[in-house]
Amino acid sequence: MNLALSDKRQPGFTLIELLVALGIFLVITGAAFSLLGTAQKRYQTESQVLTSFQEARLGLDQIVRDVNDAGYPPPTYFDSSKPLLSVSWPFAWSPGYPNTDCQIATGGGGNCTTATAGDTAPGDFDLIIETNPNPQDPSCIPDCPVQWIRYQLQNTTPLPTLMRVVSDKTNGDPDTSTAGQLVPFVQNIVNTQVVQNVTNPLVAQYQAAYPAIFPGGAPVPIFSYFCDNSFPPPQTVLCSGTVTDNSPEKIRDVMITLIVAAPLPDATTGQPRLVMLNGRGRRINPNH
Amino acid sequence: MRARRQIQPKGAEEGIALLISIFILLLISVVAIALIVSSGTESSLAGNYRSATGVYYAGLAGLEEARGRLLSKNPDAFMTTNASNFLPPPGTALNMGDTYYLINPIGGEAITPWDTSSTYPDNQFGVEFGPSSFAAPTNPSPTALSVWNRNPLQSLNLPGPLYKWVRINAVSEKSLGVDADADSLADSITPLYFDGVHFSNNPSAGPQVLELTALAVLPNGSQKLLQYLVAPTPLNLNFNAALTLDGGNMQPNVQFIVPNTSNFWVSGSDQFSAGSCNPGSGVVAAVGYTDPSDSNITSAIHSSPPGQDRRGNYTNLAAPTPDVVPVTVSANLQTVAGLNALVQTIKQNADVVINGNATQSSMPSGMSPTSPMTIVVNGDLTFNGWHSTGYGLLLVTGTFTFDPDATWNGIVLVIGIGELYSHQGGNGQFNGAVFLASTDPSRPPNFDFTSSSGSNGIYYSSCWIQAAMPVVPYKILSFHEISQ
Repeated sequence: MNLALSDKRQPGFTLIELLVALGIFLVITGAAFSLLGTAQKRYQTESQVLTSFQEARLGLDQIVRDVNDAGYPPPTYFDSSKPLLSVSWPFAWSPGYPNTDCQIATGGGGNCTTATAGDTAPGDFDLIIETNPNPQDPSCIPDCPVQWIRYQLQNTTPLPTLMRVVSDKTNGDPDTSTAGQLVPFVQNIVNTQVVQNVTNPLVAQYQAAYPAIFPGGAPVPIFSYFCDNSFPPPQTVLCSGTVTDNSPEKIRDVMITLIVAAPLPDATTGQPRLVMLNGRGRRINPNH
Repeated sequence: MRARRQIQPKGAEEGIALLISIFILLLISVVAIALIVSSGTESSLAGNYRSATGVYYAGLAGLEEARGRLLSKNPDAFMTTNASNFLPPPGTALNMGDTYYLINPIGGEAITPWDTSSTYPDNQFGVEFGPSSFAAPTNPSPTALSVWNRNPLQSLNLPGPLYKWVRINAVSEKSLGVDADADSLADSITPLYFDGVHFSNNPSAGPQVLELTALAVLPNGSQKLLQYLVAPTPLNLNFNAALTLDGGNMQPNVQFIVPNTSNFWVSGSDQFSAGSCNPGSGVVAAVGYTDPSDSNITSAIHSSPPGQDRRGNYTNLAAPTPDVVPVTVSANLQTVAGLNALVQTIKQNADVVINGNATQSSMPSGMSPTSPMTIVVNGDLTFNGWHSTGYGLLLVTGTFTFDPDATWNGIVLVIGIGELYSHQGGNGQFNGAVFLASTDPSRPPNFDFTSSSGSNGIYYSSCWIQAAMPVVPYKILSFHEISQ
């Protein structure tokens, strides 16, 4: 019965049915592929933002930890004959370190300068921390040297990069001793257009797209400093020219702001994508 | 027709729709999974940073609790809550190798850091002290419960910080990797002490350096190990005279007016017992001034007629009278900044701080010979008809108007305006030391006990000075996070 029936010619779809079915199929698959394409672009953009976010988070966490540990071990540990085994000051500066202090000022002012034009340490985009991050290191016990940990923003292509170095403390100048050893730490920093007196034109596009982050197009310091204020309260105030003593010796808090751009603009809108992170490190060690 | 309808497989008609549905579902699933992964990773990153910050502050909370409870006047001081089974008595140094743990068990969990097989073992101790004879913590170590495991906080069921334990122990040259005595040897058995500037192996150099190490662990596994070195740092208050007039190089000169009564004395001889303390044989000047140009203040003391020669009332029973001489005060009392810093330090550690003018009614009722208090009046203080005795350190930043009906046993600091008046009668006196200093360069200190004033005067007493000396917190000598 079945065999007999299967031998019979079966009617197929009509042309109209096929065209309609094909049309519906094309519309549905077209929509699906379009959605997939959009999703892929979105995924690509979000992946880049996420990578920037992750890099910035790790960077911020490291900076905060270094600031928290600044000044370890204090000079109370050692006599003056071993200055390289204890910190001179929690935050190093240039020039005149460690005997002649300088004054911090916002906007790159003050007289804490470095050998690099347009750069100050400590400054809005440069910070040198003095600490011993690993005093129990078996390879150096008992004379583990104190180290300089420096963060400096440098102009790189296409966007500026926050550099970092961990270098043994010397009797020399912290700026010149660490200057040639900096390696990339967090890339695509867009806090400022002008880095060490060099303008990065690409940063302007990012800043223009986010006027709320850069009010008036003003640069956003990566490092902002709050100094000890012995009398009267409050206990800490912004280190600026209005503070009687705004030298690096008095730094208590370091506010950190990282504005990081994704390497490529948003694939769907073409707009640049930014990630802005804030953190605070507080020095607990005595300042001398 | 009927047979064909029966033979035509029904499923074949719906197959294309099923395939399209599956395909679309697959696409949507891919997109959804990608978004979920993306947002999940982002949440995870933010969560990691939050955990790292949270566990850091949890560890810091443990360190601060231990540091605070080392202070004897803290209501939850270890010497109060664990008087007999925790730290050695005050004044007794911790032995090298002895470990004490402040533990914070949450939900009844066992905290036994000395046990390497426990959930939260203390592996750091061996890193610092091994492989010497102190390779492991004392097993078992004395423990004290955190304030979060004691009433009243325990009964409130408040979520406390998530630190697990804080170890308290002595440190040595070897454990810290220092050479305190510059002998090129790393001593592993001698505890370190703090002389106010450096570490020392000498027990008489100062108080012992204590190491506090905190482990904090969050439920998600984040953990941090933080470490303090702390030592008590007493106030640098040394008195070289019963009455000190800290004038610096001010103009005009120090004002010094004294009564012409036979019972008014300023004595630099050490006298009066306080508790178990007995006066020693040492003496200080009766009246000391810091600016040599103030030497003319002796003219205020009556020398004639013979029956009213009061110069002998200013004595330490050793030096010629009147014993009114230039003295040198400690460095922190020689500058306005140093004086302001001292005022701040005392204020931060005072039992009572009165902002604004005050009278005797503002004096705390808890003062007693066995419980001297530190009282700061941030303004003027006026005693009038107060027939009572104060005990402790009294700091007045304004004008102190004294009624000699009252007596004060301890330290009186008048720093700021630097004026001490007494214009009334009475038989009260100061036993201890009185210190006047002005922080206004144009306004010298003013000691004005008018000739009609009573008062039996000022008598140096090392015992009352010692009893009144404020207990200051353990100072943080160093801090760092230990890499794990």
